[in-house]
Amino acid sequence: MLDNLKAATFEVLETMFFVFPENLEEASGMFHGPGLRAWVPVAGPQRFRIGLTLPLSLAREMAVNFLGLEKDDLTPQQVEDVVKEAANMVAGNFLSKEEVPAAYNLEPPQALGLDLDAQAWQENSHHLLMAVEDVGLEVFLEKTK
Amino acid sequence: MAYNVLIVDDSATMRALIRKVLTIAGFDLGECLEAGNGREALAHLEDYWVDLVLSDLHMPEMNGLQLVEAMRRHHLWQQIPVVLITTESRQEIMAPLLAGGGIQGYIRKPFRPEDIREKLHTVLGEAWLPDARQFEGCDF
Repeated sequence: MLDNLKAATFEVLETMFFVFPENLEEASGMFHGPGLRAWVPVAGPQRFRIGLTLPLSLAREMAVNFLGLEKDDLTPQQVEDVVKEAANMVAGNFLSKEEVPAAYNLEPPQALGLDLDAQAWQENSHHLLMAVEDVGLEVFLEKTK
Repeated sequence: MAYNVLIVDDSATMRALIRKVLTIAGFDLGECLEAGNGREALAHLEDYWVDLVLSDLHMPEMNGLQLVEAMRRHHLWQQIPVVLITTESRQEIMAPLLAGGGIQGYIRKPFRPEDIREKLHTVLGEAWLPDARQFEGCDF
């Protein structure tokens, strides 16, 4: 399952956002400063969510690449929307790769800002940690109530 | 011939991107209308002549599937081609839509400008096809 999540993430970020994640053991030490977390709730017989956490600097770079705007012209709302859209694409791509039954549906993405230094970063069976150049990127798949 | 296009997506960011990609793809864009969900799209269809609808599937209030159903029931809108641009590509969902003629095609996100170009070429035919040189080395 995590292989498909990783493949979905790579495909989406490389194709539409022109950033290139890589697996790096040191990724857990690359989460610093202000960040954004965006996720897509998945409704169905079981509920879960699929999302991304990343530093604001990477979010802005993705928004520049996605929208073709200058960094200084971006609004915070645009940056948030772009990260939500990235989470939406990763989630949809993952469901297709997993051939999840049609009873499961994506709900509108959500996002929040957070201080990355205040979080613990550890890869496990539901959280993948990657690096994009010198900053961290988390992809997660979590059960929810 | 310039085509009037209705872009339906709950993300304003995505709508802006699709509009931009249409231009990059050399699409002869006439009026470009935008709607945040199916209900807003139907309101636009009441007021404007639209040649092509590009719609997301998962949206609040009225989703893409409900929009397509409403269009196919309406005598003026049932012939307007609809192409879904969506993260959804599960065959269980997409195959019945294609087989039943509800939609003329779909483009899976993530997509490249070439994907849009090829799909619209298939749906609309040769008439709008731009000079292929416009595509060389292009990106978003």
